[in-house]
Amino acid sequence: MIPFLGNINLWLLLFFAILQLVNSLKKNNASVIKLNRIAVNGLFFCSSLSFFSLIYSHIVSDFSLINVFQNSHTTKPLFYKISGVWGNHEGSMLLWILVLTIFNYFIFKLYNKTNSKFITKTLETQSLIIIGFVLFTIFTSNPFEKMITLESNGLGFNPILQDPALAIHPPLLYIGYVGFSAAFSLSIAALSLKNNETIFWYNYMKPVVAAAWTFLTIGIAFGSIWAYYELGWGGWWFWDPVENASFMPWLLGTALLHSLIAVEKKKSLQLWVLLLSILAFLLSVVGTFLVRSGILTSVHTFALDPSRGIYILIFTALLGGYSLFLFSINSKKYLNTNYVAFFSKEGAILINNILMVIVCASVFLGTIYPLLIEAITNNKISVGEPYYNSAVIPIIIPAILVMGIGPILSWGGNKKLETFKKIIPSILITAIFSILVFLYYKSYSIIGVIGIVLAFWIITNNIIIIYKNKKKFIKSMIVAHLGVGILILGITGSSVWQKEKIIKMKIGNEVKIENYTITLKEINEIKGKNYLALQGNFFIFDEKKNLIKKLKPENRYYPITNNFTTEASIHTNLLRDVYIVLGEGNINDGWVVRIYLNPLVVWIWIGAFTIFLGGIFSTNINLRKIKKLQ
Amino acid sequence: MSKKIFLFPFLVFSLILFIFFYLLLIERDPSDIPSNLIDKSIPQFKSKSLIKDSEYVSQENFKNKITLVNFFASWCKPCRDEHKYIQLLANNKNIQVIGINYKDNRKKATGWLNEVGNPYLYIATDKRGSIAIDWGVYGIPETFIVNSQGIIKYRHVGPITKKIYKKINFILNETK
Repeated sequence: MIPFLGNINLWLLLFFAILQLVNSLKKNNASVIKLNRIAVNGLFFCSSLSFFSLIYSHIVSDFSLINVFQNSHTTKPLFYKISGVWGNHEGSMLLWILVLTIFNYFIFKLYNKTNSKFITKTLETQSLIIIGFVLFTIFTSNPFEKMITLESNGLGFNPILQDPALAIHPPLLYIGYVGFSAAFSLSIAALSLKNNETIFWYNYMKPVVAAAWTFLTIGIAFGSIWAYYELGWGGWWFWDPVENASFMPWLLGTALLHSLIAVEKKKSLQLWVLLLSILAFLLSVVGTFLVRSGILTSVHTFALDPSRGIYILIFTALLGGYSLFLFSINSKKYLNTNYVAFFSKEGAILINNILMVIVCASVFLGTIYPLLIEAITNNKISVGEPYYNSAVIPIIIPAILVMGIGPILSWGGNKKLETFKKIIPSILITAIFSILVFLYYKSYSIIGVIGIVLAFWIITNNIIIIYKNKKKFIKSMIVAHLGVGILILGITGSSVWQKEKIIKMKIGNEVKIENYTITLKEINEIKGKNYLALQGNFFIFDEKKNLIKKLKPENRYYPITNNFTTEASIHTNLLRDVYIVLGEGNINDGWVVRIYLNPLVVWIWIGAFTIFLGGIFSTNINLRKIKKLQ
Repeated sequence: MSKKIFLFPFLVFSLILFIFFYLLLIERDPSDIPSNLIDKSIPQFKSKSLIKDSEYVSQENFKNKITLVNFFASWCKPCRDEHKYIQLLANNKNIQVIGINYKDNRKKATGWLNEVGNPYLYIATDKRGSIAIDWGVYGIPETFIVNSQGIIKYRHVGPITKKIYKKINFILNETK
């Protein structure tokens, strides 16, 4: 009954989306808004019902559905039964559609007396996107598809996905991706405006982009947290194709967010913003294509089906072909010849934009290079960390230097000497703090020096702005930039000064890593709700032989899905993480143990959360601005 | 500014899509590609051993035996996937397996091998990727079969899968 309801609602979604499309193409405005109200509400209502039907089916373990059978099990804890809904391909598409209809509803709310044509055009594009995703879900990935046989229990859920960070990672990420769809539609509408119409489209675009970027940031951060705690490889970023698929729209989103400020203040860069907002969404869809088509392999396990790949690719071709062609013929009216002064705030923003786009292009190239090689030579290769590090780091460094100065420059143009006087204090403070850090860590790699200096450069510049301007500073920007400074600190510490030990340990064995002595006291067998595990008990002692912490990493076995996972056990403080993973082994030969000392990791999460907070402030401010327009 | 420049994003996008379509539609059957080096002698090399810093690995280690040369790194995920096949091949008494550790960190590489087992008789380090350039390596993993006269007989780009493993065994039986 409930799955039937969910399925019917999928078809109703298609109906309302077509209604919105046909209606938006009409000329008569009064009736357009009335009918669109019905369509927009209908879409939101049906997608919610459909989504909750699937959640219900997962909660009650309705194994008459293939989706529940393949991804759930009666022994799974309730929390993971629910998060399992979007932990698989079909369910995640349903979530994607739900978020799409929420943004659609938000765009509808923007209607006022002067902008009806513009908003109608935006809703038209949104309805096209919704139709595309609904058709895709119904025909290639319907979560309500029935089982032919009757089963008493499910196949279970991939245990590495059974993690709280991963439960909220997809919803946050989808708000990001789908938010860019709204920016995309607004951009199409702006490009379709007649020459004599003036709508401040960028004002509408700003809160949407701010929200999308903010949630993408925190979504990626939760993905990293998951990788760090669950994968047990000791790191938090692996340049995996799926990570890149989220990182590329993020980079373009960063560029977009900043250039929108320049558009708002100086009316320059409009053309550039229109192109960026199209590309940011296209990259989100291409990212989905790369992940779901099985054309690239990664740690993200989605069921693969070639027909899906073809479908998403055709959809991308239509979206991209239409939008970029429209851009090529209609963008000229946004061309202006107010050239940007180099040494000014807009100059800094432009440099930031160029650098972000170059980083994005480098990552894109690295991601599709194996595909290119395969297309030409029929062979598979792997592009790994060395490429990305050497391609991305040298471009990020100048971007961060500029980021420190950008906020203190004013619009239009600045005197170089005065600006230099302004930054002398931050140069001094940066130098002092950097030296202190090196005296503490006693490690002097070049990348380490650069990273620490950059981190303090950003942090001190922003603190000085707060100190000088007391209440007048732009809260959202300062908070987000401080977050970036903190993030760089964490990234540098954890990647440059990481210490790693991989050894075989028997019970009673001792190992030293830096100033810590780690002893394996015992190994116990324990039983969880749907797994069995070997749990090591490690005692961590400091230099003075004081016990700091007992760490209990696990090596879990899930009998239902017949696979093993490792649960790292981590002791965190503000300076470092001690990270232990228990591997294979037995009582006679000992167990393989991996021990990592990861300095400053916690600052990565603190930094990401601070950026998120800044993004929330920015979204809020920009939403208020458009409320004033209404 | 000429209007044509605005067509540029559209054209680039079309090109990328074309490649994706092509990839989806072709029969993607990874097979060996003819290398310029097939039927030629191995390129000369000499570099420090990964396991013992004081020793060197070079073409002299091939010693008139049939040799499997495998380029790998600890950061390369496909290398993890193929590792079990390398181990199976190393069990073959008629051949020896030599590894070339490509652009890797010594500690990470040895740590990884301690964890999963070391099937290589010798491992040369190729920190700057210069050996890989001489051998014409596209990307790692890559595997070569060298006969007892030091002539390259076969090359495979990408991880060794079950199918490729069978193929390699077949070729090894033919090689002298």
